[in-house]
Amino acid sequence: MSQSGTITAPAAAGGTRPGVRWGSLAMLVLRSVFLVALFGIALASPGFLSTANLMAMMTSAAFVGCVAIGMTLITVGGNIMSFSLGATVSATTLVFVGALLAWGILPAILVSLLFGMLVALAQGLVIGWFGANPIVVSIAAFALIIGIAPWSTAGTSLFLPAGAGQEVLRGKLLGLPIEFILLIGLAVLGQFLLSFTVFGRNLLMVGSSRWAAEAAGIRAWRTVAGSYLWAGLFAAVAGMLLASRYSKGNMDYGATFDYDAITAVIVGGTAIQGGRGSILRTMIGVLVIEVTRVVLLLNGFRQEWQYLISGVIILSVILLQTTVARK
Amino acid sequence: MSAILSVDRISKSFGAVAALQDVSLTLQAGEIRALCGENGAGKSTLVKILMGIERPDTGSIAIDGTSVAIRSPSQAQALGLAQVAQELSVIPSLSVLDNIWLGSAQVPLLHRRRAFRQRAQDALARIGAGHYDLDRQAGTLSIGECQMVEIARLMVRDARVLILDEPTATLSDTEIEAIFAAVRALKAEGRSIIYITHRMGEVFSLCDSVSVFRNGRHIVTKPVDDVDRAGLIEMMLGRSFEDMYLCRQQGATGRPALAVENLGVPGVVHGFSMTVPRGRLVCIAGQVGSGAHTVLRALAGLELATGRVSVDDRPLRLNSAPRARAQGIHFISENRAAEGIFGRMSVADNVIATRLPAASRLGLLSWPRLRREAARLIRDAGVDERRLGSMIGDLSGGNQQKILFGRAIGQTPGVLLMNEPTRGVDVGARAEIYRLMRSFCEQGFGLVMTSTDLEEIVGVADIVLTIYRGRLIGRYEKEAITMNAILTDITHPPALTRNGINEAAAAS
Amino acid sequence: MPLLHLLSPYRRPAAVFAAVLVLLLILDGGRGDLLGSSLLFSLFQMFGTVGPVALGVGLTMLIGEFDLSVAGMVGMAGCIAVMTGGDNPWLGLLIAVGIGLAAGVLQGWLMTRLKLSSIGVTLGGLLIFFGISYALTESRSIEYPNLDVADVLGRKLVGFLSIPSLVAVGLYVVVALVFGMTKLGRDLIAVGSDRRAAVSAGVPANALVIATFGFSGALAALCGTLLGYSLASAAPTGLANVLVPATTAAILGGVSLAGGTGRPGGIALGALTICLLQAGLNALGMSSYAHEILVGLVMLTIAILDGSRFSIRIDELRLSLRRS
Ligand SMILES: Nc1ncnc2c1ncn2[C@@H]1O[C@H](COP(=O)(O)OP(=O)(O)OP(=O)(O)O)[C@@H](O)[C@H]1O
Ligand SMILES: [Mg+2]
Repeated sequence: MSQSGTITAPAAAGGTRPGVRWGSLAMLVLRSVFLVALFGIALASPGFLSTANLMAMMTSAAFVGCVAIGMTLITVGGNIMSFSLGATVSATTLVFVGALLAWGILPAILVSLLFGMLVALAQGLVIGWFGANPIVVSIAAFALIIGIAPWSTAGTSLFLPAGAGQEVLRGKLLGLPIEFILLIGLAVLGQFLLSFTVFGRNLLMVGSSRWAAEAAGIRAWRTVAGSYLWAGLFAAVAGMLLASRYSKGNMDYGATFDYDAITAVIVGGTAIQGGRGSILRTMIGVLVIEVTRVVLLLNGFRQEWQYLISGVIILSVILLQTTVARK
Repeated sequence: MSAILSVDRISKSFGAVAALQDVSLTLQAGEIRALCGENGAGKSTLVKILMGIERPDTGSIAIDGTSVAIRSPSQAQALGLAQVAQELSVIPSLSVLDNIWLGSAQVPLLHRRRAFRQRAQDALARIGAGHYDLDRQAGTLSIGECQMVEIARLMVRDARVLILDEPTATLSDTEIEAIFAAVRALKAEGRSIIYITHRMGEVFSLCDSVSVFRNGRHIVTKPVDDVDRAGLIEMMLGRSFEDMYLCRQQGATGRPALAVENLGVPGVVHGFSMTVPRGRLVCIAGQVGSGAHTVLRALAGLELATGRVSVDDRPLRLNSAPRARAQGIHFISENRAAEGIFGRMSVADNVIATRLPAASRLGLLSWPRLRREAARLIRDAGVDERRLGSMIGDLSGGNQQKILFGRAIGQTPGVLLMNEPTRGVDVGARAEIYRLMRSFCEQGFGLVMTSTDLEEIVGVADIVLTIYRGRLIGRYEKEAITMNAILTDITHPPALTRNGINEAAAAS
Repeated sequence: MPLLHLLSPYRRPAAVFAAVLVLLLILDGGRGDLLGSSLLFSLFQMFGTVGPVALGVGLTMLIGEFDLSVAGMVGMAGCIAVMTGGDNPWLGLLIAVGIGLAAGVLQGWLMTRLKLSSIGVTLGGLLIFFGISYALTESRSIEYPNLDVADVLGRKLVGFLSIPSLVAVGLYVVVALVFGMTKLGRDLIAVGSDRRAAVSAGVPANALVIATFGFSGALAALCGTLLGYSLASAAPTGLANVLVPATTAAILGGVSLAGGTGRPGGIALGALTICLLQAGLNALGMSSYAHEILVGLVMLTIAILDGSRFSIRIDELRLSLRRS
């Protein structure tokens, strides 16, 4: 049932501990009931199935979703969370707009991706090589990005004129928003990395026990740095998508993304201690959060009650999820 | 004599695992009772229930004939029970003094009192550790010293029933002797002791009676005088048992698998040299803290070291675990939980941990191949194939260790470095591990192990090197390997000669 | 031997504090803007806000947990106090702190009872507190009518202190004394470095966890109340995010996320360091960008010097230099 690519034994294996199987089955049922109830309410909500609503949901899920994929890699690798991915997203919107105005769309995409990767890689190296505290490093990086990025644009937003090329990243493909298609692609990529590459398995091992990983001859610092590199890449994609959608580069866009992403990771059930988790679960987390938000909105709850109720729902999902993980 | 503690029909399950089933025991005042049984037999679970850390599913406990419900460790303490837990329970950032009094109900809120210092000092002196500095941070002590601090914690508790769960696994013989003396003194005061161990010798030299556990059931309790070693092992395993140690490797050896020259680790190991022939098991014997562990850690690239090392005549660059691994060095740590297994991952994930690059193309893994490989490896390591999908943390210590050995299977020819390979491993699994080691020898591996268990060293080693304070003392082979010679070397070595090697031994 | 590892948990935060002071003096370049009369006052004003929250968060980190919910609690308590304390500020304070305590205890109870990770539970708490403060105020900023209270709280006392900063200093003194002199401190450290070991030695770990979260909640509520009273208003988003500076202060103070290290005195120094950096840069008239950049650089440097592998890397370097 774990989607992290853990090898499952031949059919007989589960049979030795039927009780464990039964317990997780009960939890699976409980979780499914919760999801079905949530989506039942969603479907019953006026206008939930309208094209406009679905499109809007897919788009907004894509932005946080991209960041959450990277956050999952960081969490799985044993580095808890990063406070700087949101700022990286914001700064990327500026980089993207600037590069697009100067050189056109393709170079802009490349430069943006490179920017995100470099910013995150630097943090990953400091954390992996020196064993620096990941939370402090990410807070420091946050401050540096927040200080340097607006300074270089003198604190204003950058605007994209229509037709500068950003349309490529906000159109539709097969009737779905490009953002959403990209999100699915990245999620598949992330899960693939985790399950089917040496890097991904090493990351799980380093997250499970860094000492044991090093004793087994894994270059843990490289693996950690790699996880940040990918997280930076995913954050950069979110930044480009945002800038294209709103034709604007702005330092405020990513402000809440760190919290939203870690919420999605935890709601998805990835262990905060590292060593276990999956991107697909995080995507379920993103979906739950997004659907909850939209349902409350559609049912005419006032903004303030939306915050409260979604808080309660998320807490109950967390209670549910973590109990599953413990069992 | 009257029963001080009696346990009646206790059962406890974790999920589907029945850790204890219908266990009944009585313990008399002034009795030292050994608990024996394979890994996972349920010994520690019984201790946890007695100490109020776990609650039994059914059954009852009585102290002095009155039935009691033990719901928390503090309640257990109030009832006069105290333990040394199997897992090391010393807090590194606290001083020795604070560690000794940690959790004690006798300590008032304002805890810095002179009397407590004195009592802690006395407790340490009683177990032969009177020279420990009470204000030293426990984190700077060796594992063995921490264990002594923990036993001192037991001593100050003034308990009527003392439980020691494998207290000597990390200790050396002199320390063990001191502890035995202290335990006997406690017995003379009329206190009762429950003593859990995997070392058969300790059962016969210390205990009055022995209770055997198997698969969560209490099989039998007998006075030690009524059982012999073979009989005891047979009761534990539930089947007959041949000789544990296999004969030494004979015959010619090829080129050296590993040559170490002048290895140094600042402050710990000084000018250590050795040659490990292919197909031989070399054992480095030394007290806890002698530097034996550090030698192997340095060779595995886990300690900063200097010196010339070559594997198969190819020079090895030190100070990098990945490079050591790439040159065929496999390392098994003395700290299985922290540095060996990946506790939150499956058995299969653990056994293939070091083989991912080999089973991948351009970084992409081939799961069918890995799955086949994992199944083959754990079969060859002697673990039930059906455990492939279990969490490794759910396996017994012996099986976990076999999985770690499994990582090296077939990676020939190589070098296998093992620190305390049978620590916390039961007799049955121990024999299987020795057999595994021999099969590695036959495949042409060079094997080096360290151990603090003299009986084991004399039983398995082809070549014994003795080490004292980080320096090589002697080298023994074949008939020259005797317990006496090794014991002298590692405790009070004769004067060192200029090249660091005991001449008499070098001549042999 | 590496720089910072030589220093004991008490001395390290002091070294960091001194380093930041020197840095500011260098930036000042002898112009004397820095050491103007108002520096100490504004430093301690900030300490009055960051200090108590850092103490609460720091103690939860010390026992190996993490209280994210303080960020929401400060805001919620501010709103509650401002709404209920109009006539009697003490009543508002009592209600707010009581709720903070209860919410913290509840969270602690949930995590010990259900064996949940504190990050998950307090993330939920954060979102709920956040929601409650929106719901209570209907997303508006609410005024606190009792301006006298704001006046009293903002007044200078004994030179550079005010009531909020005095309260913060007092809290630290009391906690440091309790921590150092009673067995509570020792037990908290034990719970933080090895929960299983502490339990098996007989330390009442669950009770300590619940109590620590209760204390952290109460401190955050106290801080929110004082902040709301001093500003004479409260709004759900109006109160700046205190979690990041509080966490930073605790880490600078020698507390690690892994638990078991750090002391209240260290946390105080860490909080003072953060406040000194902020107040100092303000006094120097730095642009807000330069301000952020400097804070980032200082923290990055500390993170590296303090890294668990820093000493190994230096030794490695030295070794390879000697060889070549
Ligand atoms: N907390 C737990 N959760 C699940 N299973 C457990 C737990 N504690 C013990 N077990 C299982 O209960 C059984 C008995 O374990 P126990 O630790 O009592 O064995 P033991 O006799 O002390 O073994 P050893 O000699 O290795 O110390 C084992 O199968 C073990 O895996
Ligand atoms: Mg045990």
